[in-house]
Amino acid sequence: MILIVGGEGAGKRSFAETLGYTEKDIADAAIDGRPVVYHLERLVFAQPEQADALLERLLEKEVVICCEVGSGIIPVDRSERLGREATGRLCVRLAQRAQAVVRLVCGIPTVIKGELPGKR
Amino acid sequence: MPDSEMILLTGGSACGKSSYAEELCLSLPFPRYYIAAMRPFGDGSEEKIARHRRLRRGKGFETIERYTDLQGLVLPERGTVLLECICNLTANEMFDENGAWTDPYETVVAGVETLRRQSGTLLVITNEVGADSRAYDPGTRAYMDAIGRINQRLARQADVICELVCGIPLVRKGRLPHDSDRRR
Repeated sequence: MILIVGGEGAGKRSFAETLGYTEKDIADAAIDGRPVVYHLERLVFAQPEQADALLERLLEKEVVICCEVGSGIIPVDRSERLGREATGRLCVRLAQRAQAVVRLVCGIPTVIKGELPGKR
Repeated sequence: MPDSEMILLTGGSACGKSSYAEELCLSLPFPRYYIAAMRPFGDGSEEKIARHRRLRRGKGFETIERYTDLQGLVLPERGTVLLECICNLTANEMFDENGAWTDPYETVVAGVETLRRQSGTLLVITNEVGADSRAYDPGTRAYMDAIGRINQRLARQADVICELVCGIPLVRKGRLPHDSDRRR
């Protein structure tokens, strides 16, 4: 599994496309038969307490894409705060077991762990 | 002043800063002091404190709760010191109980310097508070600005700066302790 992280609009999805994935491969905030999960943070925010239960299913994916949501002021709203923390912690656990972790900044990918496989 | 080293750790919430800082401390000498700046009330802080306590258990830390005035803190001995975190300390130094605020820059910077003088290695945890898009009130904006300035100042003084992303340390300045040994 390759984990791709970065801020909103940082170029995560475009980067996944350079790996050979197309529209039909990408599941938006859903875990189904498709090999790429996009907007993992939305799945986590929907049920922060259930985030741990997603781990194993996500590890079976080829690519997991998640927005970095931990920066900025800690939200006053409890569920928002829990969502943010659960997203961060889940990403730490995914990164520990990922084959590669890529972080996008201004569209520029940096491999921060492991090595990318060749294009599929 | 005897040789001391300062390591600044930054990153968003739940990016693995605390775990990584604690792991670094395990290879550094005793005594190990954990300076807790988070006041134990409001905004889920009780849960957070309980979680951090659980994670620190068995790692040989002596916890010192200190919400303000690090300049007045005298540690029993020189040792490894982990300060968590600049965001709480800054809020505590900045706002009074009525929400009025004063610039905490000098107080926070001097407080960290006081800790450093008493440390073999000082690890300081901060956060990327400025990367946020909401329209906040002037006090919160001043708080974000203060932390940004404090982070820059601490970064100039730090020997090592490490950004944590998904638990992965990205070294932005200097070299982590024992890094050369690890590579060998």
